[in-house]
Amino acid sequence: MKKLNIDLIIIGGGPAGMAAATQANDNGLEKVLIIERDCELGGILQQCIHDGFGLISFKERLTGGQYAQRYINQVEAKGIQVKLNTMVLEITSDKKVYAVNEEDGLLEISAKAIILAMGCRERTRAQVFINGARPAGVFTAGAVQRYINMEGFLPGKKAVILGSGDIGLIMARRMTLEGIKVEGVYEIMKTEGGLTRNIEQCLNDYGIVLNLSTTITKIHGNKRVEGVTVSQVDASMKPIEGTDRYIECDMVVLSVGLIPENELSKNVGIELDSLTKGPIVDENMMTSIPGVFAAGNVVAVFDLVDYVSQTGVIAAKGAMKYINGTLDLTNTYISVNSGENVSVLIPQKIRKSNLDNKQDFFLRVREENEKMKLETEWSDKLVQAGKFSMVKPPEMIHITLGEKELAQFTDEDICFHMRKES
Amino acid sequence: MLNHFYSLINENNELKKYEINAERTDQNVIHLSGEVDVWQHVIDIGHIAGSIKGIKGVVNHITAQNIKPQKKDNASLISGAKQIGIIDTMDVVIVGAGVIGTGIARELAKYDLKIALIEKNSDISEGTTKANNGMIHSGYDSKTGTLKAEMNVKGNAMYSKWAEELNFPFNRTGSFVAGFSEEDDEYLEMYYERGKANGVPGIEIISAQKAREFEPNLHHTITKLLWTPSAGYVEPYEVTEALAENAVDNGVSIMLSTEVLNIITKENNVQSVVTNKGIIQTSWVINAAGLYADEIAEMVGDCFYTIHPRRGTLVLFDKSNKGIIERFIGTPPKNFTKGGGPMQTPEGNPIWGPSAIEVPDKENVDVDQQDLDFIINKSAHLVEGISRQSVITFFSGLRACTYTEDFIIEASEKVKGFIHVSGIQSPGLASAPAIAQRVENIFIELNPSTGKKENFNPIREKPIHFRECTFKEKDELIKKDPKYAHVICRCETITEAEIIRAIRGKIPARTLDAVKRRTRAGMGRCQGGFCGPRVVEIISRELGIDPTEVTLKGNTSNVLISHSRK
Repeated sequence: MKKLNIDLIIIGGGPAGMAAATQANDNGLEKVLIIERDCELGGILQQCIHDGFGLISFKERLTGGQYAQRYINQVEAKGIQVKLNTMVLEITSDKKVYAVNEEDGLLEISAKAIILAMGCRERTRAQVFINGARPAGVFTAGAVQRYINMEGFLPGKKAVILGSGDIGLIMARRMTLEGIKVEGVYEIMKTEGGLTRNIEQCLNDYGIVLNLSTTITKIHGNKRVEGVTVSQVDASMKPIEGTDRYIECDMVVLSVGLIPENELSKNVGIELDSLTKGPIVDENMMTSIPGVFAAGNVVAVFDLVDYVSQTGVIAAKGAMKYINGTLDLTNTYISVNSGENVSVLIPQKIRKSNLDNKQDFFLRVREENEKMKLETEWSDKLVQAGKFSMVKPPEMIHITLGEKELAQFTDEDICFHMRKES
Repeated sequence: MLNHFYSLINENNELKKYEINAERTDQNVIHLSGEVDVWQHVIDIGHIAGSIKGIKGVVNHITAQNIKPQKKDNASLISGAKQIGIIDTMDVVIVGAGVIGTGIARELAKYDLKIALIEKNSDISEGTTKANNGMIHSGYDSKTGTLKAEMNVKGNAMYSKWAEELNFPFNRTGSFVAGFSEEDDEYLEMYYERGKANGVPGIEIISAQKAREFEPNLHHTITKLLWTPSAGYVEPYEVTEALAENAVDNGVSIMLSTEVLNIITKENNVQSVVTNKGIIQTSWVINAAGLYADEIAEMVGDCFYTIHPRRGTLVLFDKSNKGIIERFIGTPPKNFTKGGGPMQTPEGNPIWGPSAIEVPDKENVDVDQQDLDFIINKSAHLVEGISRQSVITFFSGLRACTYTEDFIIEASEKVKGFIHVSGIQSPGLASAPAIAQRVENIFIELNPSTGKKENFNPIREKPIHFRECTFKEKDELIKKDPKYAHVICRCETITEAEIIRAIRGKIPARTLDAVKRRTRAGMGRCQGGFCGPRVVEIISRELGIDPTEVTLKGNTSNVLISHSRK
């Protein structure tokens, strides 16, 4: 078994991992290693050939591959060590990483700090309980994207898409351009799951119908998909009798959500958030194990790659402080709670002593609404943190609190509310 | 006998309106015909006929409105086979490569016999076997005196030897029947007495308190339990794979994608088997065709039973729940009318079910909401701590039931050279070793001069599973074959080396599902979302076929339709 000593190991070479690595390098850390299971850096961005990436970071509309390449170039220019085709099997709480690849065999890498950047995976048909037969032709949207964009195959001729998440919307357009007939997008919720711009550009521009409050109740066909039954659903998302209709298709594409990929985190005993399904993190994106940080979609599913990269930067800065011994690990955490109309909220806790002159927060609302204000509440104080003309659950909100606001924090827990502007 | 049947029908308010024609043959087989409103009535009438004492079997041709009888015309296929002509000559042809057929093949491989095991699907285990929950029942459940009860208890005991020789995982950790109230006590007592009579070792009734000492997450409402320590758990497709590999090692030919179209007899002697691959000459046919056993028996003119499919759905959970409940927990029938319950696979996934519903179609393995609701509600009353959110998949299988609801394992009374192994429903997997032995005995009794092979090797080596190796072993494996470092299925940690081994194996895995059953690639929480495209690529490369030719489970189940760019 080959043994290595590294300052900072980053698990996952996607946008979060690369942003973390370049940041750590910029801060002067020399022994940084990215471990990537695929044959190239970039993660899922490499199969995203559509544009719209990097609007915030680069003020440009890049494709996934272009966005990734900007970071790959930096990783290469800075001479950051990368191990490709390398699979991490286990991490330990004393920050040893066990990984395998063809050249090294089994590796035991001891690190001063670890950043988890494994990304997320797609939910499957069983997780949304779609009944019926189990033929070939049922794919997650990401798998269809890989087949079409990376491998040059068409997995069907006539598709029904379940779920209006962003990948499903992107694939509705992509499949149409490749000559696959998209018979419609069916969404069990009463509102769409993806970004508004994707509804416009991927469905409306191509005349693809989005059917809300409708779901697939049965898949037909024993060998290959022959069709689906769809039904409208009531307020409790139960199919309404008599609304079912049969749609002929040879392919079912699922875009029913993403789940942070946290098997390594779970096995080492990192505390997870039941809502985000990712590690509970603090102001520096540090998990419940000191010295183990997390960034990007492994923490929570962010809609924009720019946010993913930003969390990578935060985690890298935190890891630097941890390695240098300048991170306060003893003070009690203040808990950061979701209040009115707030669901996901990152970070979930902060140590006041570790706050810099600014602190980023990422959150999602529960319900769509217009003319809203975000309020931060603690003790008996209520401070406005932002105004929004429109908020929607699929669109994550990023706010930064500055020195002035942070200085007012006491040792009391903080709560975020999204309230109607009065 | 028939009068008794008609009087039973007339006593039944739902069934008495029908005009049913029943005939009895000189073999004491009842043949039924007529038309009824719904499929369940076809089943109910068949069961009434099957319950009459002294009958040998029930052939049920009653149809239900709106359900088309499934008859397919083999004529053109048969003429195709005749054109191909004779492709081989065998001593024994076994029809059906489920756990029963492969078990028989491996048992008979001890003898100097040329054996072909033929299977219409593209892989072994593709029928009833693959959708079994893997429970090796202890044997308290079957009526005393039935062949089922005898085979179950014997087969259960024989599993230790099978597991040892064939190196498949087998946990003999016991099973429960849960009682919730004093009312349930009489059922537990009944099971206990029946278990005793059937010869179930170690059977006893214990308090919930005692059971919780070793099964702590039993539902808090359970008060008393029937405990049978001999029950065990396997992965049914792993047992079948191990049997098949060992059979091949001992000279058995396995022919996949080979469908029996007809069986030729001459003067009531089996002559040959006509398949889509050509004609195989043989003087012995063993019918282990599961759901299609009645159709195979019909081909030799000795069909005295109709197989009616009884569908069972299973729900599989993430193995992050491993250890929450290790043993099967059944219930007395009054609590829930259908069978099944929660248990855990040897790999550590909780598996709940199966349900039981009669379906007319032998290929209908749909999962319906009612089955899912039933299974989840029932098991949630038996075990605590497993969330519905951790379901990773669900699937159905079909039990091959006769109307007498017992196993049929006997040489044909009409045709020399034909052995029926039919109606092998639950507990067929548990009974499999005993069934194989019984068939062996029948065959040898009829062919007493059969000689034993000198070099029969009962051992099947344990396959290497990267995920189970220590770090040191992993390092050594990668040094020997770097493809062990290439993890293809990340949920189950399955490497490219293991997938290649399955594709090049003794029973080559040629489909995604076959690779999944051999290696577990795609069996985890993402259900092949990540590894699917990669496994397609490896199958295509290893078999030298285009990726668009790779299928999920054989003919016409292609994963990809075409190339997007030429």
